[in-house]
Amino acid sequence: MDLREQLLRHRKDTRFIFGGLTVLLGICGVLYYMLQRGRGVPAELAANKLLLFTLWYANLILILAILLVFVRSFFRLLLERQNRILGSKFKTKLVLTAVALSLIPVLILFPFATKLLLDSFEQWYSLPIQEVVEHGRDTAEFLTQQIQQNNQRAGCRVLDQVIGFDLESLDQQLALQRELIQLREELQVHYLAIFDGLEYIHGTADMSVGFRREPNFRGSTDFLEEAMREGSAWRIPEESLEVDGRLLLSACAGQRNLGLALDTEGPVKPTFTVVVTGTVLPRDIARKSRVLLEAHQAYLQLSVQREALQAVFLSILLMVTLLVMLAFSSIGMRLARRITAPIQALADGTRRISQGDLDYQVPSSVDDELGVLVDGFNSMTRELKRNRELVERQHRELVSSNRRQQAVFQNVAAGVLAIGSDSVVLSCNGAALDILSQREGDVVGHNIVDAWCDPERKRLADFLNEDFTAGGQIRRQLQLTIGGVWKTLEAKVTMFPDPAGLPGGRVLVLEDLTELIQAQKMATWNEVARRIAHEIKNPLTPIQLTAERLLRKHQQNDPQLGELLESGVATIVREVQSLKTMVDEFSRFARMPQPRPRNVELQPLFQELVRLHRGIKPGLELDWEVGPGAETVHFDPEQLRGVLMNLVDNAVAATEAPGHVQLRSKAQGRRVVVQVADSGKGIAAEDKEKVFLPYFSTKGRGSGLGLSIVHRIVTDHQAQIHVTDNEPQGTVFSLEVRRS
Amino acid sequence: MKKSAFTLSTVLAAALAFLWLGISVEASSEAGIEDLGLRVEGDQAKVTFRLTNAFDEDFERRIQSGLPTELTFRFVLERERKTWFDKSVARGSLQVIAMYNAVTSEYLVNFKQDGDLIESRVVREPADLRSAMTELEAFPIFSVAGRNPEELLQLRVRAELGTRMLLAFIPRTVATEWAHTDRFRLNDLPR
Repeated sequence: MDLREQLLRHRKDTRFIFGGLTVLLGICGVLYYMLQRGRGVPAELAANKLLLFTLWYANLILILAILLVFVRSFFRLLLERQNRILGSKFKTKLVLTAVALSLIPVLILFPFATKLLLDSFEQWYSLPIQEVVEHGRDTAEFLTQQIQQNNQRAGCRVLDQVIGFDLESLDQQLALQRELIQLREELQVHYLAIFDGLEYIHGTADMSVGFRREPNFRGSTDFLEEAMREGSAWRIPEESLEVDGRLLLSACAGQRNLGLALDTEGPVKPTFTVVVTGTVLPRDIARKSRVLLEAHQAYLQLSVQREALQAVFLSILLMVTLLVMLAFSSIGMRLARRITAPIQALADGTRRISQGDLDYQVPSSVDDELGVLVDGFNSMTRELKRNRELVERQHRELVSSNRRQQAVFQNVAAGVLAIGSDSVVLSCNGAALDILSQREGDVVGHNIVDAWCDPERKRLADFLNEDFTAGGQIRRQLQLTIGGVWKTLEAKVTMFPDPAGLPGGRVLVLEDLTELIQAQKMATWNEVARRIAHEIKNPLTPIQLTAERLLRKHQQNDPQLGELLESGVATIVREVQSLKTMVDEFSRFARMPQPRPRNVELQPLFQELVRLHRGIKPGLELDWEVGPGAETVHFDPEQLRGVLMNLVDNAVAATEAPGHVQLRSKAQGRRVVVQVADSGKGIAAEDKEKVFLPYFSTKGRGSGLGLSIVHRIVTDHQAQIHVTDNEPQGTVFSLEVRRS
Repeated sequence: MKKSAFTLSTVLAAALAFLWLGISVEASSEAGIEDLGLRVEGDQAKVTFRLTNAFDEDFERRIQSGLPTELTFRFVLERERKTWFDKSVARGSLQVIAMYNAVTSEYLVNFKQDGDLIESRVVREPADLRSAMTELEAFPIFSVAGRNPEELLQLRVRAELGTRMLLAFIPRTVATEWAHTDRFRLNDLPR
């Protein structure tokens, strides 16, 4: 069945529940009414066998109905659980709880009610009641027996008196009438009558005791016949209109013609004189006697029908109990299903949505909190769908962007490698593979130590394994022989922190500067050749002119030849000396000694340099400053002294008085920045890139090799040097060197 | 589904068992039919028998209580057949209902044959009552007019004595065992 149909069906449950409760109340009300009315119903009717059978089968049907309901629900829940239908476990718990809640009170109350009912029955048949009714019955019967005995005695005496009367003689009848009245008064009976066989002869009644008219028993032939047959008989007739009370009758019969049989021929039919005596029990006493007898009978009826009555009441109690059980179990189970239906719908919705069906909407059929929950769930699903569409769109854009970036990444001239925090190469572009002369499979996914295990590439790995500051960036020029080719690489490493701020991965950008440097070298050599030619040409010209002048004077035999010779030789020697000096500088530039770095204290070095240059230019102020953590550096002491001497010389030369030159150092991570700052005229922006090139000078004198030598010394120490503007004016040369 | 079918059949079996429990008859251990005899007078088959040990203390107390106290005699005339459903020739019942009037000290005994009142009798002595209720002398039960006189027949008689409760609330009828005559032919019966 579709979930929506289930929900619609459960909507009908409300009508079922209220209908069921109404029917139950109706049945209980009818039963109560019947029980109330049943108090007046005779026990024989209450204990009727048909009623018992009806109740028994009604109970049987109810028991079967309950069993059917329970078994059906049980198997339905079992099947749902076996089929792993969402919400079945919750439904099972809820149904079991509902059944337990409906059964437990009933099962607890039923034994108590039964016990109370049985105790109540016991009270009915308690000993005092039994004794009272039996004694009442005995008393009533004793009274009746006494009266009957009196009647009997009186009848026998009257019979003795009247047996001699000729009942057919009219004279005798008159005498008999007087005798009867006299005997009735004497014997204190209320009624006296004489019968000749079945024929009424005469009778007399005491009209003062309640006779409404004189009784006549002509119709009671069986009574008279019994008396004639048995000699005596008695009767307690039902109450009649003739007497106001109950008349107890006795009859005595005597045979009159015993002697005549001998004188006649053949058998003679016997003739009987029958005396009927009666005593009137007053109406009040008669009623009490009847009540006592009927009470005893009623008690006996209850007693003999005790089992049946007990069964009837137990059956009714059981029927009500079963009805309550059936009604509340059914209602409880339906309520449980009603509650679980929206939850099951929610669970089903969750399953559908987890499978990706975001168009699914849970059908809502209730307007309570569960309905609000369902509405909220549907709203959440719609929101989820919108968000998924947004994410998908963004994902498409991101993929597109990634493809563009990948295209750029793959086609960029510089080699780019992404390296994880565990030193594993995550990705690299084609340029990087070209520069490193490796295949992608040899690099990507491998640790850099393994990927670059040869001695040349290992230098690159060592460079990457240096301790970088998170977010920091370092640039270094490396000369490596890769694949048999000597390469000059500009390596730039950028470290990016992970979300926790700890050092994360690194991005290595490699630029192959080999060709550029070759070109620069070519240009430099061109420049050197031009400069050398120029510098050599400059002294050669005076030498040539001096030599030609001396030759001409000699040819002219000029008397001043000797003087001219002296001055000419002096000029030639000076120019040769100039050439020699220039050659020495070239030699020194070419033969830079191997650096021997060690820890160098900056403070004494700064003091010496300041002391040496102080006073060269009046009005020029020199000072120094060593920052915390920047007291020592790892450098060749002599070369560092030369570098700083050169920089301070330049600063002093470039600064006019009043001015200021400062030597200072400060810590920056694991490096120390040593700066020489002046307040001179500064360096033009276009010249800053050239200041470290050989033979470049803005001073107009010197060889122009000073800063080139400085740059070479610095790079030989794996350090860096760069030039920036000083504020408000001047220049700052900064050396970034390793801290010791 | 098999389990459900099994459960349904189990429930139905239980229902039938309870139904049988309700309608089955419990045999009395003491009462019985004795001196069962049959003779033919005219078109009527007349039965004679005595019911013994039916008047126990409970039965007499019930009579004394004034409740209608009933003995029901069931008569079945069967013929010689192999199958049970084809055996019965005629069925009849006689209800003897006694009611005691404590005020007049009389017992009214009504006789109902197949539901119709056929006789009312008043007796005053318990012995007379016992005799009236338990002794049947030449009581006409079946008409034998048109029946094959050579057919082999058998009369079965049972007396239902009342109802007894099982488990305090399941009523069960208490009856004597079936008494039966020897197999007979109508022609062989005394007339």
